[in-house]
Amino acid sequence: MSLTVSGLSWGHPLPGSGWRQLFQDFSLSCPAGQFLVVIGSNGSGKSTLLNLVAGTLRQDQGQIHLGDRPLHKRRDHQRARWIGRVMQNPLEGTCPGLTVAENLRLAERRNRSALVNGGFLLGALGGIHPNGADRRRYRGLLADLGLPLADRLDEPVGQLSGGQRQSLSLVMATLGSPELLLLDEHTAALDPRAEATVMALTERLIRQLGTTALMVTHSLEQALSHGDRLVMLHEGRLIGDWSAAEREGLDPSSLRAMYGTAIVAAQSLSAPDGSSAS
Amino acid sequence: MLSLWLGATDQGLAYAGLALGTYLTLRVLNFPDLTVDGSFALGGGTAAVLISQGAPVPLALALAILFGCLAGLVTGLIHTRLGVNDLFAGILTTTGLYSITLRLMGRSNIPLPETPAGILALPNLGLGLDGQWLVGLGLAMAGLVLLISVLMATDFGLSLRALGNNPVMARANGINQRRGLCLGIAAANGLVALAGALVATYQGFADVTMGIGSLILGLGMVIIGESVLRPRSLPQALLAVVVGAIVFRMMIAIALQLGLEPVDLKLATAALLLIAMSFGRLRIPGVADQGRLQG
Repeated sequence: MSLTVSGLSWGHPLPGSGWRQLFQDFSLSCPAGQFLVVIGSNGSGKSTLLNLVAGTLRQDQGQIHLGDRPLHKRRDHQRARWIGRVMQNPLEGTCPGLTVAENLRLAERRNRSALVNGGFLLGALGGIHPNGADRRRYRGLLADLGLPLADRLDEPVGQLSGGQRQSLSLVMATLGSPELLLLDEHTAALDPRAEATVMALTERLIRQLGTTALMVTHSLEQALSHGDRLVMLHEGRLIGDWSAAEREGLDPSSLRAMYGTAIVAAQSLSAPDGSSAS
Repeated sequence: MLSLWLGATDQGLAYAGLALGTYLTLRVLNFPDLTVDGSFALGGGTAAVLISQGAPVPLALALAILFGCLAGLVTGLIHTRLGVNDLFAGILTTTGLYSITLRLMGRSNIPLPETPAGILALPNLGLGLDGQWLVGLGLAMAGLVLLISVLMATDFGLSLRALGNNPVMARANGINQRRGLCLGIAAANGLVALAGALVATYQGFADVTMGIGSLILGLGMVIIGESVLRPRSLPQALLAVVVGAIVFRMMIAIALQLGLEPVDLKLATAALLLIAMSFGRLRIPGVADQGRLQG
């Protein structure tokens, strides 16, 4: 399903006084099935854009359509019917106090946004879940994806490592074949090995599902090696837009230069040893 | 002596609904709900008015639960629709409920001289009236724990637990936070009102002030139960809070047996809870408010 953002405006009050207008008449379209990578320095509006699409922030003006569906008229939990999200913090994208199977069950029923279903008695409340059949299905799914979680279905997610949690969060976001996948710097909190595992899983799931995907990242390495299209944001404006073919010809040093001094400062703040910056 | 233990157990079982309701709001929904002080008295007052006018006890208990649910729903709506801080929402409802309960009762105290016929019809296990109360309240609480355990194992229950565990993630998975909180708080206050009704029926009177300090009592019962049984699953946790309610009432009974003056009971209760909280795993949801909720 294609994603179309048109005439989007959003701003926020500054501490003390004043107002910062981040997006002003911003437009972006992403054709159905495209894997779009969004880069930009801190404060450029990358995560805000994802939050506006997901509905956790409400736009001041403008429209957001997923296919023909006006997302901007729906609340975030209603948009979740069509949108899978993976957050930056592995703890945010899962319920650490619930088991792996319970988290998967929550994600599986995402496209039924009603808290109470139609029907009678327990059926009205969704029935007993996760049950034996659910567990068999989840075990198969996790084994197919090569994730070492199939035998840990009844463990609380809080006991998993950051990489495992983020892999689980990714699997959850893609359960029920969402029409749009939003990935918000989902590897930023991971070590290089876990990052590689999660990115390989990301690529595989997106290609397998053929879903439209928006991935925000600070990593130029990821931006240059993943996705069908790369866009760069700066202070709420689109300052670069490259197809995969055009991206091949990009000189990483010129791209880094486009980031400007702001990104260099941001990288040195987020990773003093430079390990997460490429 | 046996009568003392039996009486304390009966009282604990009567109070168990308060502990279960507190567990649902504090532990499952992560919502510090002060409505319980008002809904406990509302439940007691409702039951007392109806029973004293000749209504069947089951009907009185059912209406007490319904009124408790409505009180919880009001708090939920004030918090989710008007964006009022969770603690203030509960305080507002409780403040209003005092007048409502007093209006309902018509006076501040209603005596209930007769033991309900339903209780008198139960087997006494050779323990007299206390034994009959034990059977009646024990069966009621066992049924309640089973019912809540099953509800919490459904998609609906899973959604409520997710809301308490990680509301951001819950919303991202399509759960309506407003509706979930309102339903959860309403159900919890229904349980608390049931406890108020059972306590009034058991002790033979209802007083408009009987709900004062209910939240802290419920919290103490939850902490004692969790400390004693160390539950590893939700059904175990529900059972633990019922046991916590019984242990708590037994501690009070021991204190009275040791010569504590009834006038010092509240002070002793506070000290007891402080000790339980110091040794228990106290986790009270943060008072920081998220402002007006989305969803």
